[in-house]
Amino acid sequence: MAAFTLWWQMHAWRTPEVLASTRFSSPDGGEHLSFSLLLPARHEQAVLDHTIQRLLESSHTDFEIIVIVGHDDPGTTAVAEAAAARDPRVRVVVDTHAKKNKPKAMNTALPHCRGDVVGVFDAEDQVHPELLAHVDHAFRSTGADVVQGGVQLINFHSSWYSLRNCLEYFFWFRSRLHLHAQKGFIPLGGNTVFVRTGVLREADGWDPDCLAEDCDLGVRLSSVGKRVVVAYDSDMVTREETPGSLMSLLRQRTRWNQGFLQVYRKKDWKQLPTLGQRMLARYTLMTPFLQAFTGLIIPLNVAVALFLDVPVSVAFLTFLPAVTALVTFVFEVVGLHDFGKQYGLRVRFVHYLKLIVGGPFYQVLLAGAAVRAVWREQRGRNDWELTTHVGAHIDATDGTRDATAAPDASDRTREDVPA
Amino acid sequence: MTSTLPAVTGSEATARPRPVPATVPAGRIQPPSRLRSSRPDLLLCGVLLVVVLVVQGWNIADYPTLSDDEGTYLAQAWAVQEGRGLAHYTYWYDHPPLGWIQLAALTWIPAMISPESMTVGTMRVVMLLISAVSAVLVYLLGRRLALPRWAAGLGMAIFGLSPLSVVLQREIFLDNLAVMWTLLAFTLAASPSRHLWHHFGAGMAAATAVLTKETMLVVLPALFITAWRHSHKDTRKFALTGAVTACALIGFSYPLFALLKGELLPGSGHVSLWDGIAYQMTRPGSGFILEEGSGSWGVLQSWLYYDRILPLGGLAGALLLLATWRWSVTARALAGPALTVAVLAALALRPDGYLPAMYIIQALPFLALVLAGGTASVAHAVLRRRRSAAERRALTRARYVLAGVLALAACLYVVPRWYDGARIAVTTEANAPYQAASRWMATEVADPADTRVLVDDAMWLDLVHAGYRPGLGVIWFYKADLDPEVTESLPRGWRDIDYVVASPTVRRDAKDLPNVRDAIAHSEPVAVFGEGEDRVEIRRVATAGGSR
Repeated sequence: MAAFTLWWQMHAWRTPEVLASTRFSSPDGGEHLSFSLLLPARHEQAVLDHTIQRLLESSHTDFEIIVIVGHDDPGTTAVAEAAAARDPRVRVVVDTHAKKNKPKAMNTALPHCRGDVVGVFDAEDQVHPELLAHVDHAFRSTGADVVQGGVQLINFHSSWYSLRNCLEYFFWFRSRLHLHAQKGFIPLGGNTVFVRTGVLREADGWDPDCLAEDCDLGVRLSSVGKRVVVAYDSDMVTREETPGSLMSLLRQRTRWNQGFLQVYRKKDWKQLPTLGQRMLARYTLMTPFLQAFTGLIIPLNVAVALFLDVPVSVAFLTFLPAVTALVTFVFEVVGLHDFGKQYGLRVRFVHYLKLIVGGPFYQVLLAGAAVRAVWREQRGRNDWELTTHVGAHIDATDGTRDATAAPDASDRTREDVPA
Repeated sequence: MTSTLPAVTGSEATARPRPVPATVPAGRIQPPSRLRSSRPDLLLCGVLLVVVLVVQGWNIADYPTLSDDEGTYLAQAWAVQEGRGLAHYTYWYDHPPLGWIQLAALTWIPAMISPESMTVGTMRVVMLLISAVSAVLVYLLGRRLALPRWAAGLGMAIFGLSPLSVVLQREIFLDNLAVMWTLLAFTLAASPSRHLWHHFGAGMAAATAVLTKETMLVVLPALFITAWRHSHKDTRKFALTGAVTACALIGFSYPLFALLKGELLPGSGHVSLWDGIAYQMTRPGSGFILEEGSGSWGVLQSWLYYDRILPLGGLAGALLLLATWRWSVTARALAGPALTVAVLAALALRPDGYLPAMYIIQALPFLALVLAGGTASVAHAVLRRRRSAAERRALTRARYVLAGVLALAACLYVVPRWYDGARIAVTTEANAPYQAASRWMATEVADPADTRVLVDDAMWLDLVHAGYRPGLGVIWFYKADLDPEVTESLPRGWRDIDYVVASPTVRRDAKDLPNVRDAIAHSEPVAVFGEGEDRVEIRRVATAGGSR
């Protein structure tokens, strides 16, 4: 099982040809599609304006930005209205649901979309100005229904778990998602995801009750045979930050796991045409739980082999999971090196050390989140636990938000991208 | 990985399969991407394989002389099959056990069908399988290292038909198995698809080779260079890390095995991996290979006796390739094999190293490849170098005449010698004395189950099948002095032994083994087979006849 994960995790690096095919092909300059970019924002007054400004800098000529704010959130609304007043390409949609979450907000905005393609971003995303042109080209050259761009956590230096968190994203968006796209079963990411408006409306938008609405959307679209294309370029990725504290990471992870569990139970994936796809779906949606399980079983196995008096052959077998885990570890170290290389970040020796030492603890965290998710799902608790962001991924030189980010970091909460 | 994208420009368009940046150095011959669907390759390889198998397989049981080591490994494979552990005497970490575990697996089915066939002479047949796989891998590797078809075929022919190869590859040596795995590792490392998991597999094959015969360790740097040269810079760090990790993890299973058995470090009352390694590292040297009269010199002469062309020609080829590294594409393509040969040659030239007779086995395929590569280089230089389209017809013709003369001269030199070697290999009966002695022991001794015999390893299994008690009834002669468990079972020394089958090996080594020496001194030959140095004597110990 660990071997499967490893195999898939390393998908993009299998051969140079595969690696080349995971990138965006360069656009031809023709721009034929129009975009509606959804920007759900909740208590994001500190970062929202910056994000809108950056989106407006896009080189693409035909897009609109729809900021979705809550009727009970005057601060964010004010920022959004101000931006709309400055630029006609920005519009504001107010979500009046009593109980708010991201899928509901986006469903509210869906009827207002005028573009050919709906794109989703989060309020604190840093989006590359060339991205839309590349996505436009990807849609046209591949005939895709969905294009998933890369999302990357950048602040690996913040803490030991953010390091691992960043690397998880790296492997997921750099490598694993491409495999899913190729196999025709894909849980989408929460942002930098683009869907043809018609396709999205046909699918009735997002599931308002699902904790991993993006994963769910991907599963539903691929189950009915829609074509999904994934493209990753370190220049083009949407940059994000890790949750600000261990507790919020745990909450975020619990929510994703619970979301995966919900998607699994909705059984949309059973419509997938081939057995292989269904097995991949089953396996992928169960991954968080299997991962938690192996994380705990490996030390136990090694302990059994070393301290209990078992036959040598049995002891050897118990080491097998540890071996695959070790190989994964090694590839993670190389991945971290590659990550630093691609993003021009200086990865120091201490970071490698943190990566290795932090590994087992991160496993415990994942296991904790998995158990917690099962427990919450069992108790029928499926409200949204929100993730706090402090803006660590934006350069300190980026004065527009740095000053404002710190003071109200604690009360500003938002939802995050499931990966 | 490129982190730059071309800017949005108006020119290049169209949906496209994305090209991979070319990494093949200009001028290098590209092997076809799928050899298995290339008919000329399959035909050439198939025909050569048949020839090699006929020359190696014909008369395999009777030539060359049964070697003590063959008996050792096969007997240990038998112990594995019988579920007696890794050896029928205490396994003492002399070599990693993977080699004879593979032998046990290979001989498992024939041994099931007919247990008596589990003897050295009969089971040499399984080595044919190994030889066949290795020979095909040599061809494949040659092609993957960008040798032209004829040169890859030449390499395979040299590897399979050199009299030295014929003699050594017929014998049940762990080195032959290790060579097969090493070749597999090289072939995977040179995979044209540059697949991550192929490199991973190369690491695993390399580790298997090392665990089959630990001396393969020294070949790993050359393998690493091959993998480096054949990986793409975008994926290289993952591919190579994968290969090294795979190799290391599998390699570490051996110390782990020792650790789990509690035999990693030395201690009283048990064998240990540490002691095993210490023994191998401190084996008394056999002298400098170029000093006349030393043990190593003798070993070298024994190789050159069978064939001079492959060892000396291959070495020259390796030096030629390494020297022309700057100018020759063939030389760069064959860097791995050439380096392997260089490393092995350098090790053989240690002033006072231990040089076993099978040492050269691990170099054979690489010698063959560099010899073929060197030939290809020379052919290229003669036929193509500085040749322009406008060259005069006469000069072109002269080039071909020169090439033809060189090829003819080489054939005239090589073919008669190798024909002789092959003729000897398929006609000589070298093992008649052994077979006769073993038959005598099986039929003339009244009560095998209650008789204690010292034999060399090669005959041990024969006598086990004849009804002698394995281990303490029929005894590997040197265990009588070197294995405490066996020595204890002989409280009265030579008096507890009934027979000694004194083969050349036993007579040679007896001078250092008191029990064996005394047993020979106090015994009379009752039957002698063969004559001269190679005779096999069956000696009955004087006190035998009921006093036990």
